[in-house]
Amino acid sequence: MSAHLLSLIMACPLVATVGVLVARDDRMVKVISAVAGAASLVLAMMVWAGYDRALGGFQFAETYDWIPRFGIQFAIAVDGIGVVLVALNALVYITGVLSMWSLELRVKEYFAFMNILVFGVFGVFTSLDLFAFFFFYEVAVLPMYPLIAVWGSTRKEYSAMKLTLFLMAGSALLFPGLIALYYESGLDTWNIIALSEAKYDPTFQFFIYPFLYIGFGILAGMFPFHGWSPTGHVAAPTAVSMLHAGVLMKLGAFGILRIAMTILPEGAADWAPVFAGLATVNIVYGAFVAMRQTDFKYVIGFSSVSHMGIVLLGLNTLTIDGINGAVFQMFAHGVMTALFFSAVGFIYDQTHDRDIRHFGGLIRQLPTAVTFFLIAGLCGIGVPGFASFWAELLVFIAAVQVYPVLGVLSVAGLIFTAAYMLRVFGKALFGPVNEKWSHLREPTPFEMIPRVMLIGVLVAFGFFPRWILDIIDTATHVLAAVP
Amino acid sequence: MNPEIIALVATFAPLIAFLPAITLYRSRPAMAATLVIGACALTTLCTWVLLLGGAQPEPIVRSWLVSGDMDLTFGFLLDGTSLLMGCIVSTVALCVMIYSVGYMEKDGSKGRFFALLGLFTWSMLSFVYAASLLQAFIFWELVGLCSFLLIGFWYRKPDAIAAAKKAFIMTRIGDVGLMIGLIVLLKDAGTLDIAAINTPEAIAGLDNLDLICGLMFMGIIGKSAQFPLHTWLPDAMAGPTPVSALLHSATMVAAGVFLFARFHPLFMASPTVLAWVVGIATFTAVLASTMAMVAYDIKKVLAYSSISQLGFMLMGLAAGSLYAGVFHLTTHAAFKALLFLCAGAYIHHVGVNDMVAIGRGGARRLKVTSLCFIVGAFALAGLPPLAGFFSKEAIIAQLGETQGGIIVGGAYLAAFMTAYYTFRMVFLILRPDANSKAEIHPSGIVTSDHAHSAHEPPWNMRGPLVVLAAFAVVLGFMGGNVAGLLGVDAIELHLSGAAPAVMTALAGVALAWFEFGRPGSEQVGFLDKMPAVADVLRNRWYIDSAYRNVVTGGAIRTAKAAYRMETKGLDAAGDSVGNATLDVGEVTAESQGGRVQVYLATVITFAALMILFLSLGLSN
Repeated sequence: MSAHLLSLIMACPLVATVGVLVARDDRMVKVISAVAGAASLVLAMMVWAGYDRALGGFQFAETYDWIPRFGIQFAIAVDGIGVVLVALNALVYITGVLSMWSLELRVKEYFAFMNILVFGVFGVFTSLDLFAFFFFYEVAVLPMYPLIAVWGSTRKEYSAMKLTLFLMAGSALLFPGLIALYYESGLDTWNIIALSEAKYDPTFQFFIYPFLYIGFGILAGMFPFHGWSPTGHVAAPTAVSMLHAGVLMKLGAFGILRIAMTILPEGAADWAPVFAGLATVNIVYGAFVAMRQTDFKYVIGFSSVSHMGIVLLGLNTLTIDGINGAVFQMFAHGVMTALFFSAVGFIYDQTHDRDIRHFGGLIRQLPTAVTFFLIAGLCGIGVPGFASFWAELLVFIAAVQVYPVLGVLSVAGLIFTAAYMLRVFGKALFGPVNEKWSHLREPTPFEMIPRVMLIGVLVAFGFFPRWILDIIDTATHVLAAVP
Repeated sequence: MNPEIIALVATFAPLIAFLPAITLYRSRPAMAATLVIGACALTTLCTWVLLLGGAQPEPIVRSWLVSGDMDLTFGFLLDGTSLLMGCIVSTVALCVMIYSVGYMEKDGSKGRFFALLGLFTWSMLSFVYAASLLQAFIFWELVGLCSFLLIGFWYRKPDAIAAAKKAFIMTRIGDVGLMIGLIVLLKDAGTLDIAAINTPEAIAGLDNLDLICGLMFMGIIGKSAQFPLHTWLPDAMAGPTPVSALLHSATMVAAGVFLFARFHPLFMASPTVLAWVVGIATFTAVLASTMAMVAYDIKKVLAYSSISQLGFMLMGLAAGSLYAGVFHLTTHAAFKALLFLCAGAYIHHVGVNDMVAIGRGGARRLKVTSLCFIVGAFALAGLPPLAGFFSKEAIIAQLGETQGGIIVGGAYLAAFMTAYYTFRMVFLILRPDANSKAEIHPSGIVTSDHAHSAHEPPWNMRGPLVVLAAFAVVLGFMGGNVAGLLGVDAIELHLSGAAPAVMTALAGVALAWFEFGRPGSEQVGFLDKMPAVADVLRNRWYIDSAYRNVVTGGAIRTAKAAYRMETKGLDAAGDSVGNATLDVGEVTAESQGGRVQVYLATVITFAALMILFLSLGLSN
């Protein structure tokens, strides 16, 4: 069975999609999705446990011909980075389903789209075939439009369209880039490992790399193409925000790492200082814009822009520490934002208000629900004891050494991060109590399950970073882009 | 027994108590308090056992994180400095917790209070015993977090929240420096193990020694509230008084000084940074003392004096004497915790913070408290034979050996002002004279949640006072033991050195007596007779308002500019591109009114193009 673990994981959301479509009632739909989510999480943990760290490289490989005429295969496998991100996706999947348990509007369609999205993400994180990678990438991105436009809030149609157009622009950059890779290599293969061994001409690398980096970077929220992301976060329903910020943005960063930097290492080296500079803008600029926001979700949206800057900066240091930190941050930020949106969603479902100025002393009324938000916020500030501290530390260690000025600026970003987060704490969670919200109820034990799961993961890796870094490290050691 | 196990028990007992305490704090507050106090008692026992067991020169370490060729370790470094500090932390924490049982009795959130104190004890002790700078940094940050949560403990009060935010952000500015310093040190030395870095060979091998020391000192400035990052500490008094006693005077703010002591050999190798440290510390000691001379809020006076005394400790350390700095840290922890807890007893029973009001409210009737308060005041003023005299004298002697006239003069000036404001406080509280013209300042009045009639506090509040007072008396004679623990020579007390110091302190006391203490005095200080000067001092030299206007204002303006750029620039640009695309889509796909279709059509077009490319490629 262990030989087919990855296809089993991918089968979970796919089977769930079919199951959801034939299910008789809404409750059945939710149960099917939850079972699929739990199954994929268990399988992902089996992959994590079964991955041979001493051996390293790509494991659990499965290869089937798909379109032989063009050398296109359905080839899936995971290295240390894939293991971690597959687990992240499974975690956000199950917690997302549980966070949407109270959904009543078009339940069947909602969970069908969500399962397809998750399926696409699993495909991206495991694909070794460039064509399949791109196929799954589109499968993951496509359901965002209906999910936001139908189930969203706050200018949902505008946000859905903005997101779609931005991501389409990204795809438009990627396509020529990917085709050029295939065409130039002359190997008649789409296999990423094979292509990474093809010796591309340095000039070719220099010109093609930005297509791939920016194409994927748009999905990772890179400055100045991040505008779709906060609006999308805000408009999306809870679980979609969780998946969107928690996992989908990681697809972009993962694409940069797996495709652009792996296949075009010299292009990566040429462009790294430029993109590191833009990543630093992400960090600092995102934090400053977050300081002016009044909507809970906008604050989190711009904090994502800022935190994804740390991922991109780590990648662009082209060092083992930096990339380890970037991947760790992808994971930590994914769990953290999932917790953020899950916590805010719980409050919004009752209040239908997210303006931080309308709240005050909320921790008095909802001590448990607000503690979830508080913990996510502390994690976002980079307080030790939570996973993102280590991730950011590794990126900073690399960045200060490779780009002293950018490194110092990004470390200083910690001050601004604290400023915008404490502003939300001070205005909404603490301060004089607003009696308007005294009727709100606390989460039931069942509703606490997903949130406690996410906190458990943040704290576990916050105390024992080796549990995750040892497995990431096996993959970064062999990256071509690291000199 | 194995010291590693004892140290593990010592550090983790409060954390293990914290977990049930934070979940039970609403339903079972008394149980939360008992759990945490029990754990802290165990911790105190363990730290004393470790101290009496003697220093362990070899660190006990475990590998914690491996990335590339970087191997970061965690563990315990149980040398004299950390064992001594560990005892200080646990003992003061235990005293404060027992005291808080009485102090926080009526507070509805006392369960949360004790849970947080448990979390603090774990963080602080883990910081003190840490074997590597990274580990120390982690707990340093956690201590900062505890401080944030405890300053903002009464979270419904806007000023408490503002103070908590200010403390977190001001210290974080310093922490950014410390973090960068840590990274540069890691790059240069290849390790963050404290014992490994403090060897002469390792120090000689550092390329950026001055830079590292300077950046680390930034962190110390923030945590130990030195100029220019000192402004958070007076505001931090918005927290409950036991918190002020524990965190914001005796232990947590001493973390910065402790870090300096930890890396004493490293700092000693960088004369440039040392000169800056001595200069900043002396300036801070004087600056804070001037502000204390006109304050009427008892907690503010004590807060300014903490800033000033922390400056003294850094002066001693940077002047080259590990002994003088650490000794003063030790004695200060005892007498400053004592003074704060006495202040808490007054505030608790009179219901106000204003010293004049406390005096008129009958503070004298709290006999035991007042006696302990006087002991603490003598120690703070540096009068023999109390603890503060011996340690401050050691610092001044060391300064006289190594520093120029300005620094020594500054130290004497600060010592004079310390004696003056300390006894101004004592006389205002204990000698409320009928002739007094002192006014109760409306701004100085903070109505406490629990005002009682003025009577002696319960035993659980008096007990810790007496214990701490005893420490304030005997610690002064333990200088030799401290020096032995640290493995350095004590500074002998010479009459020639001690006489001017005692005279200076006595002069300060005499001035205070003349203005505030003698029968018939008007109780108006000489500074109050110069309104212009007093105004500057009361406004804290306008440093706070300058920060508010320039730094905070600048940050807000930048944020506004960024927000404008986002909404008016990038968003607008994105929208116009988007609208243009949609228009094209409308034109090319007139029959299709929807929008998803535009996207699908594009994807299909691209897919078709791709297959065309591929076919061409294959046919070649």
